[in-house]
Amino acid sequence: MRRQNTDRQEIRGLTLKSIWQAGLLLAGLAIFVFITFSVSRLLEARSQAGSMQEIKLRAEEKKEWSGSQLSPLHRIPLNDEFNQKIVPAAPEALPFSTRYSCEPCHSYSTISQGTHFNYRNRPAVDRRTEPWFLVDDRAGVQLPVSFQKHPGFWSPEQLGLSDWKFVTLFARNLSGGGPGEPAEDGHTPDSRWNVSGRLEINCLGCHHRSPLQDHSEWVKQVMRENFRWAATAASGLGEVVGMASRLPSTWSIADGPNPDDREWAVVPQVRYNRNFFDSRNNAVLELPRPEDDRCLACHSVVPRQAKSRAGVDRDVHLLAGLKCVDCHRNDLSHEMVRGFEGERLTRSSLNSYDFTCAGCHLGQKPEKGGKGFAGKLGAPRPAHRGIPKVHFERLACTVCHSGLLPEKETQAVYTSRANRLGIFGKAIWTLEYPLIMEPVFVREADKKLYPERMMWPAFWAELRDGEPVPVDSQEILAAAPEVFNLKENVASLLNALIPLAEEGFYPAVIISEYLFEPDVDGGLKARVLEKSPLAGKSARSKFLLVQLKNGEVRPLLPGFDPDDPPPGIEDKILNVLQNLKPLARGRQPVFLVGKYVYGINDGYLDKAERSGEQAPGPEICFQEGEEFQPFLSDFQLRNLEALGPGPEVLTEEQVTLVLKKMAETNPGRKFAYVASGFVFSLDKNGKLTAGEHRAARAVTWPLAHNVRPAQQALGKNGCTDCHSPNSKIFFGKIEASSPLQTSHRDSRLQADLMKTGPLFQFLFGFTFLVRPAFKLVLAACLLVMGLLLLAVIIRLTGRVSGISGDSSDPESRS
Amino acid sequence: MIFGITSFVLIIALSLRLTFGRFLSRLPEDQRKVSVENFKAYVKWITGWKLSFLKLERWDHCLDYLIAWGRKNYLGWTVWVFYALVLSYVYLALSGMFFAWFVPRGLYGFPLLLHVAAGALFAISLTIVFFIKARVYLPEKLRLKTEGQQKGGFWCPLLRKSFPRIYLEALAFWVFVLAGFLLAASTLGSMLPYFNYPAQIFFFHLHRWSALTSVLSACLAIDVMIVE
Repeated sequence: MRRQNTDRQEIRGLTLKSIWQAGLLLAGLAIFVFITFSVSRLLEARSQAGSMQEIKLRAEEKKEWSGSQLSPLHRIPLNDEFNQKIVPAAPEALPFSTRYSCEPCHSYSTISQGTHFNYRNRPAVDRRTEPWFLVDDRAGVQLPVSFQKHPGFWSPEQLGLSDWKFVTLFARNLSGGGPGEPAEDGHTPDSRWNVSGRLEINCLGCHHRSPLQDHSEWVKQVMRENFRWAATAASGLGEVVGMASRLPSTWSIADGPNPDDREWAVVPQVRYNRNFFDSRNNAVLELPRPEDDRCLACHSVVPRQAKSRAGVDRDVHLLAGLKCVDCHRNDLSHEMVRGFEGERLTRSSLNSYDFTCAGCHLGQKPEKGGKGFAGKLGAPRPAHRGIPKVHFERLACTVCHSGLLPEKETQAVYTSRANRLGIFGKAIWTLEYPLIMEPVFVREADKKLYPERMMWPAFWAELRDGEPVPVDSQEILAAAPEVFNLKENVASLLNALIPLAEEGFYPAVIISEYLFEPDVDGGLKARVLEKSPLAGKSARSKFLLVQLKNGEVRPLLPGFDPDDPPPGIEDKILNVLQNLKPLARGRQPVFLVGKYVYGINDGYLDKAERSGEQAPGPEICFQEGEEFQPFLSDFQLRNLEALGPGPEVLTEEQVTLVLKKMAETNPGRKFAYVASGFVFSLDKNGKLTAGEHRAARAVTWPLAHNVRPAQQALGKNGCTDCHSPNSKIFFGKIEASSPLQTSHRDSRLQADLMKTGPLFQFLFGFTFLVRPAFKLVLAACLLVMGLLLLAVIIRLTGRVSGISGDSSDPESRS
Repeated sequence: MIFGITSFVLIIALSLRLTFGRFLSRLPEDQRKVSVENFKAYVKWITGWKLSFLKLERWDHCLDYLIAWGRKNYLGWTVWVFYALVLSYVYLALSGMFFAWFVPRGLYGFPLLLHVAAGALFAISLTIVFFIKARVYLPEKLRLKTEGQQKGGFWCPLLRKSFPRIYLEALAFWVFVLAGFLLAASTLGSMLPYFNYPAQIFFFHLHRWSALTSVLSACLAIDVMIVE
């Protein structure tokens, strides 16, 4: 039998040995393919380092929290974006990557869903937060941009802002992640992610307790498009030189430095500070819960009228020793507790109600039978004596306790994110725009009043089926540069006159009662003169060139006898005329004095006798043909006078000119300018008209800080803090602020936003004038009724007890 | 919710009870019992056109009757106090109950302003009425009058007997005064800057339950005091 089987196997050419060999071969082949495949995947992963794809590293499966209250000192290897350990002494060390440095212990993908990173996919139940602002103060644009879908907020998609554009505009206050780490398919033609690298979550931006951690450095680096280097530079672990923004878009990190260019297009490079590393090249980092300064870099608000930091009060919770993160907590999900009532956390393990005002100060509503105790974090339990309960049903706590105290008009504030506060350097980073006001009291969908901040969007728009669709401000600026560059042009003209100024003085111009002087940014700053030589209607369309030094004002143009000019004066005039030549737009700059005209001829000063009447004093003009045109045109004078020292940057005349220009260059399209609550467009006669549209309406978002001390809460002085015929709460004026100087401004009373009606509030406030008398009357009535009731009770008690009664009653005697 | 339902049920129940008692008192004494026949007759009587308040003249008649009753029971200038009491009370009760039943937010806006103003008038007029009428309803005075007022009292079909009307008048008067006192006290208390939030809640509930008591006593007073 065995013989037969062996024969069959031999016939088939198969033996057990050959099967065994074939099996081994196949197994070896499979192992080879598996190893090759794994290695190639690992290599591919490295080459795509930083992508959104989750890469399983050597992550230790650890508990999220050890149970200790201590924040450990981190002695950790820092890895670069290729997951290679950084050796600080290496000459071409790369910046560290938080994705690969922090991931081994803290899930990067979990954290990246946190509030500060996951802008795009926040829960829909989220309350409005301060939007980002697309600002162009030359074009008069202040446009709220947000990933949140609320009326008045424009999404980046609606504005055509790619992730790249969004990050380059707003990275100064981004914490990284989210739009800073787009997926491969999210790359747009305008993006330069391969040059800049991705803007990873900057863990150290919040957690790094080091005096070297520097928000301003972060801003500087991201403005240079040094995204992958920004966290390293801002942490102080290393210094970064070079600018990715100057590198060609074909450059990638693999190309390394460019030895041929060490002046301009310098490749960003890190020089690590080795003092922050131990002998095994592990970084030594202190990474506790974030300090307040880290939060305030992006979340502080100050009134514009504050002259110094000393004039600004801090939040009462900070003064009590709390930190921002004591209330605004998060677990590993980094879903921050924002602390408003009704907040729903979707990923956090925390109970949001515990961290609302009521959660700490009242506990779990013991009045309603809830369990628990008030006084979380030492919060005092408020008595709220004499305040009717309707206030607690219809008002958020913040109405009385937070924000600036209401005045007759709303107050302008700067916010960190909108106005670029907290960035220090040689340049002045703070922006005047957007113009944000507070407090306004708005009734929200839950029927409660909230104190909020407000701003009116301003933007150039194309009207499509009557709907204003924002137009890129660069397109508008390019269409009518001479209209927009009003202040810049005048500043350039004034700067050209510097040779005529005495030593230490600089040129300026007086128009009407305003003095205009060039500022360091190439624009003009204006101030009101106490006593102007050109005040009054008779001085309209006139100007006076002057020179300034420490508040001293002198005439700029020297008076001299042109027949016997003092030495050096003609050189000065030549210099000035040469300076003015490029600014003259084809005209000839000339200096008039007496009967003479100084001009430039072949680069030399030419002095010619002037025909006609002679100038009353020295004057600088532009000559076009035989005509002498003034140094400043009527357009410039008119508009500068209209703008004055106010915050506005555009006049109605400028808007009209721009809209006409846009209509000429874009036939068939209709344009408008949205500002101060109105849509400005041209009518059939070419006149500017203002119309209403929901896109022009003000946008608001709730404010919560700064919380004032209880002694400064509204109502502390009694009901008349709010309820009076001239109440600032109800009758405070809200007037639209915008870049446009116009009489068409959205104007309303606080009571309008509260939806309570000003007439009712006036009458209701009026009742508080007679309320003391009302209380006295009630008290008197109660006294009389009480005494009568007492008398009856005493009488009844006496009769029942037999103490008092009819003395003739024989029963009572017995 | 509890207040809304309770107040609605109590007011309707008392009104039905009073009108049913009044209906029975019109019947011969041997027919005064709770029966299906009597109930059917009562429904027919109460919904009949003759008593309907859908007729304007019915309102006129009631107003005339009230004015005449006031003149009869209040001498001189005090009748104006009574009218002020009635007018202010009618507005207070209607506005308060309407908003309590139908508006979740409660009383607000211009009705609230009028409610506050009417409240002041009510407090003053009630104090004066109390001052001049308290002696009428003192316990010893009741004992002196009971013998003459045994007839035509408040018919109780379960006990099959009439209660002396003067007792019910006194009950209505004292409960109305006491409720009015609590209404004024709770109003004043909530306006004074001495009471904290739980106290405010207490005053609020005291006010509305006192108001309900007041309305019930007023219903009783209308039946036993005013309407013959």
